[in-house]
Amino acid sequence: MATYDLTPRIGPNLDRHLVFPLLEFLQERQLYPDEQILKAKIELLNKTNMVDYAMDIHKSLYRTDDVPQDMVDRRVEVVARLKALEDAAAPLVAFLQNPNAVQELRADKQYNLQMLNDRYQIGPDQIEALYQYAKFQFECGNYSGAADYLYQYRALCTNSERSLSALWGKLAAEILMQNWDIALEELNRLKEIIDSKSFSSPLNQVQSRIWLMHWSLFIFFNHDNGRTQIIDLFNQDKYLNAIQTSAPHLLRYLATAFIVNKRRRPQFKEFIKVIQQDQCSYKDPITEFLACVYVNYEFDGAQKKMKECEEVILNDPFLGKRVEEGNFSTVPLKDEFLENARLFIFETYCRIHQRIDMGVLFEKLNLNYEEGERWIVNLIRNSKLDAKIDSETGTVIMEPNQPNVYEQLIDHTKALQGRTYKIVGQLLEPAQAQPAR
Amino acid sequence: MASKFWTQGGSDTEEEETDIEDEIENGGAGETTAAAAGSRYLQTNASDSDDSDGQKRVVRSAKDKRFEEMASTVDQMKNAMKINDWVSLQESFDKINKQLEKVMRVTESDRVPNLYIKCLVMLEDFLAEALANKEAKKKMSSSNHKALNAMKQKLKKNNKQYEELINKYRENPESEEEKFEDEDEDESGSELEDPSQIAAESSDEDDEGEDMDDDDADGAWEKKLSKKEKLMDREFKKDPSEITWDTVNKKFKEVVAARGRKGTGKFEQVEQLTFLTKVAKTPAQKLEILFSVISAQFDVNPGLSGHMPINVWKKCVQNMLVILDILVQYPNIVVDDMVEPDENETQKGADYDGTIRVWGNLVAFLERIDNEFFKSLQCIDPHTREYVERLRDEPLFLVLAQNVQEYLERIGDLKSAAKVALRRVELVYYKPQEVYDAMRKLAELSEDGEKDGDETKVEETRGTSAFVVTPELVSRKPTFPENSRALMDILVTLIYKSGDERTKARAMLCDIYHHALFDEFSIARDLLLMSHLQDNIQHMDVSTQILFNRAMAQVGLCAFRVGLIAEGHGCLSELYSGGRVKELLAQGVSQSRYHEKTPEQERLERRRQMPYHMHINLELLEAVHLICAMLLEVPNMAANSLDAKRKVISKTFRRLLEVSERQPFTGPPENVRDHVMAATRALCKGDSQKAFDIINSLDVWKLLRNRESVLEMLKAKIKEEALRTYLFTYCSSYDTLGLDQLTRMFDLSDAQIHSIVSKMLVNEELHASWDQPTRCIIFHDVEYSRLQALAFQLTEKLSILAESNERAVEARTGGGGLDLPLRRRDNQEYAAGTAGGGGGRWPDLSYGQGRQGSSGRAAYTGGGRPLALGQASRDRSGQSRGYSGRAGSGMRGSQMDASARMVSLNRGVRG
Repeated sequence: MATYDLTPRIGPNLDRHLVFPLLEFLQERQLYPDEQILKAKIELLNKTNMVDYAMDIHKSLYRTDDVPQDMVDRRVEVVARLKALEDAAAPLVAFLQNPNAVQELRADKQYNLQMLNDRYQIGPDQIEALYQYAKFQFECGNYSGAADYLYQYRALCTNSERSLSALWGKLAAEILMQNWDIALEELNRLKEIIDSKSFSSPLNQVQSRIWLMHWSLFIFFNHDNGRTQIIDLFNQDKYLNAIQTSAPHLLRYLATAFIVNKRRRPQFKEFIKVIQQDQCSYKDPITEFLACVYVNYEFDGAQKKMKECEEVILNDPFLGKRVEEGNFSTVPLKDEFLENARLFIFETYCRIHQRIDMGVLFEKLNLNYEEGERWIVNLIRNSKLDAKIDSETGTVIMEPNQPNVYEQLIDHTKALQGRTYKIVGQLLEPAQAQPAR
Repeated sequence: MASKFWTQGGSDTEEEETDIEDEIENGGAGETTAAAAGSRYLQTNASDSDDSDGQKRVVRSAKDKRFEEMASTVDQMKNAMKINDWVSLQESFDKINKQLEKVMRVTESDRVPNLYIKCLVMLEDFLAEALANKEAKKKMSSSNHKALNAMKQKLKKNNKQYEELINKYRENPESEEEKFEDEDEDESGSELEDPSQIAAESSDEDDEGEDMDDDDADGAWEKKLSKKEKLMDREFKKDPSEITWDTVNKKFKEVVAARGRKGTGKFEQVEQLTFLTKVAKTPAQKLEILFSVISAQFDVNPGLSGHMPINVWKKCVQNMLVILDILVQYPNIVVDDMVEPDENETQKGADYDGTIRVWGNLVAFLERIDNEFFKSLQCIDPHTREYVERLRDEPLFLVLAQNVQEYLERIGDLKSAAKVALRRVELVYYKPQEVYDAMRKLAELSEDGEKDGDETKVEETRGTSAFVVTPELVSRKPTFPENSRALMDILVTLIYKSGDERTKARAMLCDIYHHALFDEFSIARDLLLMSHLQDNIQHMDVSTQILFNRAMAQVGLCAFRVGLIAEGHGCLSELYSGGRVKELLAQGVSQSRYHEKTPEQERLERRRQMPYHMHINLELLEAVHLICAMLLEVPNMAANSLDAKRKVISKTFRRLLEVSERQPFTGPPENVRDHVMAATRALCKGDSQKAFDIINSLDVWKLLRNRESVLEMLKAKIKEEALRTYLFTYCSSYDTLGLDQLTRMFDLSDAQIHSIVSKMLVNEELHASWDQPTRCIIFHDVEYSRLQALAFQLTEKLSILAESNERAVEARTGGGGLDLPLRRRDNQEYAAGTAGGGGGRWPDLSYGQGRQGSSGRAAYTGGGRPLALGQASRDRSGQSRGYSGRAGSGMRGSQMDASARMVSLNRGVRG
């Protein structure tokens, strides 16, 4: 089932540290041999400063107690460097740990810098050292420390480039600490900067957006509100374009979010077109499911895809998040997805049918008869479905849903008023602006 | 004696007279050599006078005539001086200067006739006199005065050239006078004294009197052309060891100076220069001369419309290769056309360490060679063997281009390298893999043959003992990757990185074309949309526009091949809307009934024609376009059978259909159009089999590579559309319709029919629903009362009104609201989707587009230049909704962000 695993495509767009959770997940799911994953982990750790962790993995991978010499050397080196950086950043850290002193800081950056320089002899060098220190802390795996220092660094830093990378670091640290609320805040801040900043080349901007979207997956599929927000973010034109050009695999997450979210119909239609268009560049069971239901109206195919979707969701590190409840763990998203997907099929099916044999229908929906009948009755009761069950013949009969002529007329003309107002507004705008001048 | 030597004209005078700019530098050089190798000087002079004297019998008459003319002009001047008429004096002066040139050419001597010098002296004196006489000056008429001043300037300038001679003359008017008289006698035609005179002259200074005799013995005036060559040969062959850089340089300057003059044989010049390359002393000099050879070879071209003779072209390519050899061999030589190098730069030998600058522009030469190749293909009749032969020269050029590009890359001139790469791209982009393979094989084959040729050539050069032997360092064999795509990728990447705007745009278009050729529709489409070429193609040059049209046509064909009918139609419809496909694709001149072209326009148009082998088959194109239109239009007509005018997808198709329907009776189909019309008639009745058979009988399909699969696809599409048409047409007659019956009728599987019908149901094209247990379609009758129908009409009119209001406001506020129409379109679509029933979806939109398109087109026909394809694509973005999402909204990647930013800026300004 590793065919639909996206880790190799997502990995390059993440920070090294962010890949760990993915690998952990894969290890748990046992999609790949253990050994391979452990090797990948060591590979990852090689460039970070988490040497101890690397040593542990090495031991468990080769089942020895010996550690290669270069790791030992590296450990010494890392410790030495940590010491050096700690010393360099010490004055500022000391200052920041003193609550009284921190009180003196104000909103004015210039003032703060001046004040630090005058009273505490803390100059740009120390501030720079703080950044390096925070980065080093992050690479050692001390995310909370890194997050704190980066936060304070941002308050003091004047270099916008540095500030941006500090923000990325903060986001990564918050994600790794699983502080989803704070992470979301950082994410939005970062997004604003990316959208407003003028990049040296548009390509860089697109690249930043891609990274942002990849990182945000952690947040959106863990945060309570994430599933609507992922649509808000990914479905913006700029971001959707970025997805289409550079990272079509993200369509899986957007598609899932759309399926799970019921209130997004207008955008959903647009999204179906995107799916249709990008079928050549990316497809997996989830997007194919949508194509079956909304493009080709192939309900048998949709049903098959639905089964595959289940597998995909279970094996996806973001979608397949488990919740432990008592003794057994569930994947909440899977259930929700299946429920909604079923509803999608059914809805579309009902739209084009007048009479449906329940047996056939339930087969298409992967339900047994009893369960299915209950489900339909519930739908009818909740007035989601305008239909009646004819149990003698075992069919569902749709009520004819002829749109009312008057409704149609109103629909036609409703927009006109708004548009006309808008024109008037446009016309008056310059007229009003002129007298003001 | 001395005076005679001087009057015969030393190197100085010669230089001065031939090449005014070189005067200063050369003075020094000439003098030193004159001292060092005086004897050779005499030789040169001697041979020159040989020329003039040896062929006296024939030359005399021409020479006489010239001298006579000159003398009469001098007389006129004298008269003018007498009456102080500066205006006529000025005219005469100009005239005499012209005559001087002629005289010099006829006599082929390098000395200025004494008559002329005398005249100059006379003029100078008179001028000084006139200027001194202030009173007389005041009395002059204004025009006369003006002429006097002009004369003063001219004379000053002119006399500078002959300063020395004039001084000589002033110093020693006697001898000059004497000589002048001699000349006079010459003129008067007294030949009696002449031979003795000449003999005296020649025996005076000629060491090689026998040469003259030789010439006399030859006596072949007809061979004059070759004689000169021979002379030169002799001149240099005599003492190869004595040939120095200066000799060659001098001769080189001389030959170059003759370029462009009347009477200079173009071929002859090439030969002379080619000879000089063999005797060039330093590599740099050889290079310099080679550049001139190539320029001279370009001159051979008879006119703008004609093309360079093919053998000359080939030699030209060889010369370029030699240039590259030299450049590779001596990396310290730099070719540059920005800086005027020092005169003696090329004197620096092969062992010189620093950089040597040589004037030249490799890219310009290469482009010229390519243009000539292109032109020759334009001119040659494509149905002859000659054309095929000519096409075989293509690898030759590709080798050259490849080498030039490699060289430029090596010296880091990436911008130029990109230009060269573009030339290569333009030779490759239109080739399908088969043709590409054929070319590759040809290149490998011809390589063997060429090698022999090269070897003999090398021997030849050795035979004439070239001083600078250039080994063949540059490979003479093109290296092609297996796959043309790979080649394209390499080249195009280079161009995208470092080309300028035009180069990039053209490369992009070629890239699109090539992708489309290889059935990569989605890539081609993405490139097209991402590059935003459709928006600014109208501001580009004509040939790029043609390339754009070609790319669009190819993309359309590609869309058809992969089964995207709507997209294919979108690409092609605009091409056919004006009925000038040939013109738009530059594949022939279409006659327009309404406006005559001026000859100028016609010539221009002929010059931009595509060579035959690059043509896109027009029949195939037409067939594809009409079939696409048929597949879209037939169900559309069936759906809106009541008001046919309502929604027209393809106007061209509708018009053709009307014409064919008006015919009293229809014969069997003959051309593409008839076939499609016949198929349309069958399809209208829902007879898919017949429709397919007719289409299948077209013989253009043999041009398709994957013919089977395309026809298969076409068959499926025809069946599908037949089903849709059938349902639209007869839905009112049925209450229920069984799925099985449809399956039987249209030979489609249950699932397919179910899918097609479901799609129609969901899109609310068909008011019906499935009855699943009985597997049939139940049609709902939706009948509006008269009042309701009128109310619908009213609402639609209202929305058209609102639309036009919006457009009017937009026009006033500067059309900044780019987001407005887009959102409106969405609204509408959404509204149409929810409301349904009404049937007419966004009719106003198509109306608007039609208007836009036609106005744009009208503007373009005025300019004599077509191309409305920019609009095509814009229209397309509206028509095929699949596109609108991308093309309209922010778009992908790089430029999109920029454009989005621009829009928001606009808004800021307005707000």
